Formats: sequence, C-alpha cells, structure tokens
Amino acid sequence: MEGDFTVKVVSHPRYVDMAKCIACGACSEKCPKKVPSEYNERLDKRKAIYVRYAQAVPLKYGIDKDNCIFFAKGKCKACEKHCPTGAVNYEDQEVRRDIKVGSIIASAGFKPFDPSIYLQYSYSKFANVVTALEFERILAASGPWMGHMVRPSDEKEPKKIAWLQCVGSREVNACDHPYCSAVCCMYAIKEAALAKEHAHDGLDAAIFYMDMRTFGKDFEKYYEKAKGKGVRFVRSRIHTITEVADKSLQIEYVTENGVAMTEEFDMVVLSHGLEIAKETVELAQRLGIDLMPSNFVKSGSFTPVASSRPGVYVCGALAGPKDIPLSVVEASAAACAAAGKLSGARGTLVSEPEIPKALDVKGDAPRVGVFVCSCGINIAGVVDVKAVVEYAKTLPNVAYVENNLFTCSQDTQDKMAQVIKDQGLNRIVVAACTPRTHEPLFQETLQSAGLNKYLFDMANIRNQDSWVHTGEPEQATEKAKDLVRMAVAKASLLQPLNEVQLSVMPAAMVIGGGISGMNAALELARQGFTTHLVERDAELGGNARLLRITAKGEEVAPYLKELTERVKSESNIVLHLSTAIKNVDGFVGNFKTTLAGPGGEEVVEHGAAVIAIGAAERRPTEYLYGEDSRVKTHLELDSGLMSGAIDPKKTNSVVFVQCVGSREPERPYCSKVCCTHSVESALHFKEHNPDCQVTVLYRDMRTFGERELLYKEARSKGVLFVRYGVDHKPRVAKAGDGLTVTVRDHILDRDLLIDADLVVLASAIVSHKDESLAQMFKVPLDEDGWFLEAHQKLRPVDFATDGVFMAGLAHYPKPIEEAVAQAQAAVSRAVTVLSRKEMWLPGTVAFIDQKKCVGCGVCWTVCPYQAIAADDKGLAVVNEALCKGCGTCVASCRSGAPNLRGFTTQDVMAQIEAML
Amino acid sequence: MSEQAAFQPRIAAFLCNWCSYGAADLAGVSRLQYPPNIHVIRIPCTGRMSPKFILQAFRKGVDGVWVSG
Repeated sequence: MEGDFTVKVVSHPRYVDMAKCIACGACSEKCPKKVPSEYNERLDKRKAIYVRYAQAVPLKYGIDKDNCIFFAKGKCKACEKHCPTGAVNYEDQEVRRDIKVGSIIASAGFKPFDPSIYLQYSYSKFANVVTALEFERILAASGPWMGHMVRPSDEKEPKKIAWLQCVGSREVNACDHPYCSAVCCMYAIKEAALAKEHAHDGLDAAIFYMDMRTFGKDFEKYYEKAKGKGVRFVRSRIHTITEVADKSLQIEYVTENGVAMTEEFDMVVLSHGLEIAKETVELAQRLGIDLMPSNFVKSGSFTPVASSRPGVYVCGALAGPKDIPLSVVEASAAACAAAGKLSGARGTLVSEPEIPKALDVKGDAPRVGVFVCSCGINIAGVVDVKAVVEYAKTLPNVAYVENNLFTCSQDTQDKMAQVIKDQGLNRIVVAACTPRTHEPLFQETLQSAGLNKYLFDMANIRNQDSWVHTGEPEQATEKAKDLVRMAVAKASLLQPLNEVQLSVMPAAMVIGGGISGMNAALELARQGFTTHLVERDAELGGNARLLRITAKGEEVAPYLKELTERVKSESNIVLHLSTAIKNVDGFVGNFKTTLAGPGGEEVVEHGAAVIAIGAAERRPTEYLYGEDSRVKTHLELDSGLMSGAIDPKKTNSVVFVQCVGSREPERPYCSKVCCTHSVESALHFKEHNPDCQVTVLYRDMRTFGERELLYKEARSKGVLFVRYGVDHKPRVAKAGDGLTVTVRDHILDRDLLIDADLVVLASAIVSHKDESLAQMFKVPLDEDGWFLEAHQKLRPVDFATDGVFMAGLAHYPKPIEEAVAQAQAAVSRAVTVLSRKEMWLPGTVAFIDQKKCVGCGVCWTVCPYQAIAADDKGLAVVNEALCKGCGTCVASCRSGAPNLRGFTTQDVMAQIEAML
Repeated sequence: MSEQAAFQPRIAAFLCNWCSYGAADLAGVSRLQYPPNIHVIRIPCTGRMSPKFILQAFRKGVDGVWVSG
C-alpha cells in the first residue's frame, strides 16, 4: 500500500563481479563469440561478454548467457583467462530481494515500433529501407560505420534519402496505433539536417509527412532552418516502396495539387513511432496500474505523474509519447510526488563521513608524490610503467613515486593515505585514467590523509594514451612521461583551496499564482517548507479561470476552485496577493526579496525561487477581431460556453481559424495548445448540436500524442478540416447578418465560402517578456520573451543561476498537464537546495587582484553567471556563491587582475612549459 | 622517406572539461586510434582560454594549437 510497499526484485546474474571489473575490455577482445549488437540496431557485432554501449553506467561488463560458448558447450572460458582482476564468475546466481519502499516510480519507457508488419514498405526485405533508429546509429561516431553515412547494401554514401513519417503512428489498419508518437517529426528533421552535414558532395533529403508537428520550444525555428538548408518537405503519405536494380528504392506519391510523381531514392528511412512493449504491459499489470487503450499508463491532467494506484507514480514515454525535455520534467515531477508524503523520512538513512582537519601546507616546499597505475594491463600492456616511474623520480619537487596494479582499489587507497602521512607528501599526482571519473575518489583519499583535496592532479595516461596509441608502445611511453611531467609541474604550484560554507534558508518563493504557481507552492508546503506565493492580481487562478476543459475532458473550474481552497488553507503557504517584486538580493540559499503589496514593502528571505508568471493570449488584429463581436479568441469562447453566452444549440455554423499570430515571422513559434483546443471545442459544438456545421481552417493539425484521438473523433463526427497555405490566408467578411469566411482549397485551387455565426481565432500565446524580473533574478529570456532554461533537454526547469527554477507558460506555451508536471519538477529541483542545512561551494572559483583592476567592467560584462560586480570603489569583486569557475573573466581581462583558483594562469603556463 | 613525410607536427590541445575532454576519454573507451603527437591540457571551459596560452604554446615550439569546447 501507499507509504509501505514491499517490492520483490530479481537481479539477474551478470557473471562478472561488479566490484572487481575495471572495464578494461580484455575479456571482450578475447571472446570468440560474435553477436549482433542491439545498441547499433544489429547493424554490427558485439561479443558475448560486453558492455551495451561505451557510456554505460556503471561501466561494467556482463556475460550474455544465451550466446556464451561456455554456457552452451561447457568450455572456452577465454574471458576468465584474460581478465586481469579475476572478475569473471560463471557461478553467479540470480538474487531475489525484498525492498521496502514508500513510493514507486514506473519509468519503463517505450519500444520503437517494428515496421516489419508493413508489407508494402518491405523493411525486412529491402536492405536500404532502414528505421530512423538504425539511421541514427549509422550517423553516430560509435555506430557501425564510425559515423560515415553509408547505405547498408553497398556501403556507399547515399545521394538521396527519403524519410517517411507516421510509420506505426496515426495508423489503425496496420497496427492499431491511432495516436501520434509526438517525437518523429522533430527527429526526422534532425536526421535530415545532420545527414546533409555528413554528406561529402551534397544530399537530397526529402521528408514525406501528413502534418509537420514541430510544437515544442524552438522546434518551429528548427523546422524553418531545415527548409533553409534545403531539406524538402512533401505533404504526402507514401503507400508503397519498390526496389530497383541497384537496390535503390522507388516511391510514388501525389503532390499537394494532385499530380502523381515517381521518384527514386538511394535510401528510405522509416520514421517509426513509439509503442509500449508487451513486457512493460505485464509489468504494469503486476504494479496494478491502469493503462489507456493504447497501453500508455493512464493519468489525469491535474495529476500527470500519478498512476491509478496511490503511491505508484509514472514518468516518461510510459505515460504517453513524449520527447526528452518533457520526460526529464516528468522524472523530476515524479520524484517530487513520490517524496511528498515521505518528506518526514528525508535524510534518515544518511551517514556523514568523518574528515580529519587538513594540515596547513602553506609555505612548505612542494613534496610531490606520484602514483603510476598499471590498470591491470590497460596501461601496462602498452606503456612501460616502470620506465615512467623511473622518469618521474627525476622530476623536480618529486619526493616519492610508486607503481600500483590498480591505484583506485580500496587497499591501494588505504596504502596511499598512509604513504602520504609517512612520506610527508603535500602534493599528489596520480597517473592513471581520467579525472572526470576518478578525481573525486582520489580527493577523498587526500582528505582522509589530512591533505586539502585541491592539492591533486591527474595525468590521463589510459583514456588519452595507452588506449588510443595501442600500436605505438614506445611513443605512448614517451607521452606518458610528458603527461606526468606536465601534471607534476602543475601540482607543484597548487595551493590549498577553501570551500565556502553557506547556510540555507529553508523557505521558498513562488512567483505567479496560476495553476503552475499554486501547484508548486502546495508541493513545497507539503515537503515542509514555508512558501511565499506572490501574485500580482487580487485573486489566484491566472489563465485557468477562463479555461473550460482539458484535452482529457476534465473540467477546469471545479479543479481550480479546489486548488485555490487548498492553497488558502495551507498553513505553510504565505499568500501575497496584489503584490509585485521590487528587488532581489542574494543568491542560492540566501535570497532577500523585496515585495511591494497593499500593506507596503516587505523583505522576505528564501533559499530558492520558482518563476511561474505565466503568459497571455494575444489580442488579434486580424480577421475582424474587435470589429465584430462574433469573432472571438479561444479564451473568450471558453468563457462564453461556460457562462452560457454562447449556446452551441443556437449556432448553425462555427469556423475555427488556426495559427492566428503563431508561426509568423514576428512570432516564429507554435503555441502548442491551440489545435487541441479547437478540436475539443469543435467536438463540444457537435455533441450539443450535431447539425452545427463546424469547420477548422489549419496549416498543420498538431494534435500530438494521444490528442490525435480527439482529431480522429472530430473527423468521424463530421467536423470539416480545411488546410490553408500561409500565402492564402483565410478572409473573414461581414455578409448581411452573418459572417463569411473565404479559404482557398489547395486541391481545387479555388476559394471556398463558408457562412459562419461564430468565428473562433486560435490566437497565439505571448510571453510577458518580464525583463525586470529576469534581471532581478539574473536569469535570461530568449528572443520571444520565454524564460531560458539551463539546458533545453537535460535541465528543462533549471536556470544557469542556482536556486532559481521555472514552471508553466513562463517557459513556453503548454497544456495544463505539462504545466503541473513542470511545477512539480521545479519543486523537486528546489528541494535539492532547500533540504540542505548548509552548502559547500567548490574552491575552484575566480578571484580578483584589485591592485591590478582598473574597473573597466569587461569581466562583469562577460561573466555568464553575473558573479562579478563593482564594489564601492568601482573595482571588480567576485561573488563566490555565483561563480562557476569557467574562467572567462580571466581570459577577458587586459590587466590580468582576475585569476581562477585550480586553473590559474601560472598553472596552465606551467603545463605548457612542461609539454615539450 | 622525404623530409616532408617525416614531419610530425606537435599539437597542443586545450579541451573543455565538460565536452571535448570527455569526448577524448570516450575515444579511449571506444579504442579509437590516433597519432601520439598531441598533448591535452584540460581547462574548465573554453571561456578560460587565454590568447596568451596559444602564443606561449607556439613560443615553446608546438606546430599547432587545437582549442575545443
């Protein structure tokens, strides 16, 4: 039950001891059995002992028992023989465990649709018909042809490639997938654009599609850019592919004005959709959660990451087709929802390591200890490590050198700590693998030996030497010596660095009292944090006050009422209505924000902030809007329907016009929600008045994901969908008592005249472009005025500035379920700050030598984190809490006043000096 | 071997810790092979890249400088 689940987990044996495996790859190299590689979509081979892909975490090998010769015939054991650490264990057993948890998150993902069932596309028969995922691997540097774009039949570079959209999506006959997979339009454009970049002498790339669904943030711009690069977009669904003599492919299609065409392509890429695997359906049954008819997990628009079973949450493509940014948002949202009721238990299983006080080595002559790792045979098999050891002993400041079979092993770490103490070492160099994975481990050892952890450097003699110069052992050895010399030169100059400790104010501020802001505030309150909810209006609710229903048919008004009441009665929420933000001081963990409300000004302290200021519906200037009261926007339609002012029963003809102000040169983005809103409204008219003539004039219908089912239903109920070209926009005119809408039919190439009682404009959603708020919180806006996230794919609710997060329409137009998910995600991210009593800032930050500073201001202009400001003398000072240690200020200064701890100019110069 | 063919340029590479340096590590994991006459200096961001470093590298005798990030 919720709060107290016992989960029975089976860990399958991997036949490799994870603690011993160092991922050297010797086993895989010697394994005689080749198996088609799943990672490269079976386009090349892997071995029976393998890692699935180079970036796998943890990077540990495993045996594929079904394909291993030893498990089939009882002999071979090549991997065991060649493993330098004795990690192979054929006796490994399956482990069954009971795990007690309070919440469960299901994120089992999707399976790419297998297009073999489409006989007319002959995917399994024609070598040069590939899926989009296969094409993705063909383009990848770690793919079957090392990133060389070739076609499978003859490994020659294709000159002409066609992408066919909606393979296994928006398709009922072949596969019963009526939904849109939501991601394929974008990935096809991406593949076409990348393919053009890969081509050596030009590539003709054509995408055959029904509706181009580029509805996400910056997607429409990407689409336009691809057109500019010469990617052809052909609106036609292809029915058959035929193979010609040289295994090229011929396809037939019909142009928009009805002309039949035949064209030959070297390759055809099938943009296959997303589906839920059979095993995942079974898993959902075991979890006891409800699925939609399409097998995606059922959830509500107001609780987007909650499944039908309390305590079981869901995120990612398992809960409906979606792309990476939304999956990441939902992942954080699910973490928030799952942690909400468990917040009392937060931190109860944590134990703090004891760190001895660091010795003061300032002023002591450097005594560098060098530890040269053999990494089994990974380094020692190529590099003569003994020679490197002998060489290191000759370097200045080096007091001690030793060679280890595995420097990273626990026993070596213990020994290293002892050696540091016994030999009185005060700088450490490890010549081994990469600091990106191993620096934290060695730094811990330094700390345990009483050394400041910044007195450390690594020479990367494995990943960037022995592994990449396998055939040149002598030169690799020389290079290893060079790298050790460079590291020793830098290490000799390193100084102990302080990590600044900051206390964290365990309170939050949410700006904006719409659905996103209220959800964020409630979740923060539920997790135990005092939350200031700031709304500039006199009442809560935002745009949702004017919305009728969600795409899933839930009524918005009752939900909003309940949500508002919960916010008002929540004791952890401090409500600031009719209030504006005047000023923001401070930084992550310690913001001081000045609010101006009806009772005057007030300063509020908080550790994190969520910006959820929403957006607005644009007031149209076209289509007689404002001149004739029968021309309405979407929000006006919803209000009219809710109040009864608009009665479908008394409406004989309604025309919806899409893209009013969106996808235009001055607003080059898609407002994302309007197609669905028009369709659900069209259905409402048809439901209450089947005789009402409902017409939707559109450019591309963008009913993404499961919204496609609404579009399908609308067509079956007789809603007319007429496409217009951007060169032939519809015209609305008064005609007698009514309105006449004129639209050019693209097949007939003649005007259609539609009489209408009501014209509904899908007016764009526009940002508030709140530059002053953005400046106060030191966060950026994009050119359309949307708040700009730290990373569009991987950090979709974060800002580059720590402690500030975003949710809802302030980020980009989106439906309610995405706004709620983003609010929960922002809370999840904010809690990573708020749940800490104190924070340690890294020591590798910039500092200013004010004796050299002339106050020219270049550094604070170039600083991407706004971490530098002028002090009262007009000279630069670094705010260490905001500095990320990028060093841009150092490179920009003409007088050499800034420097970067850990990467000082002197450090880098010493490495350059020592290089040759 | 002609003198020209024997010429092996010595290259100093300044790689951003977060992308190109990681890519160089991944090249190792993937066992991609390249000539050994390139030496990498890890920098925290290409924003740290000062023109002085490039000049100093050339002054010390490298034949090429590669900045990547």
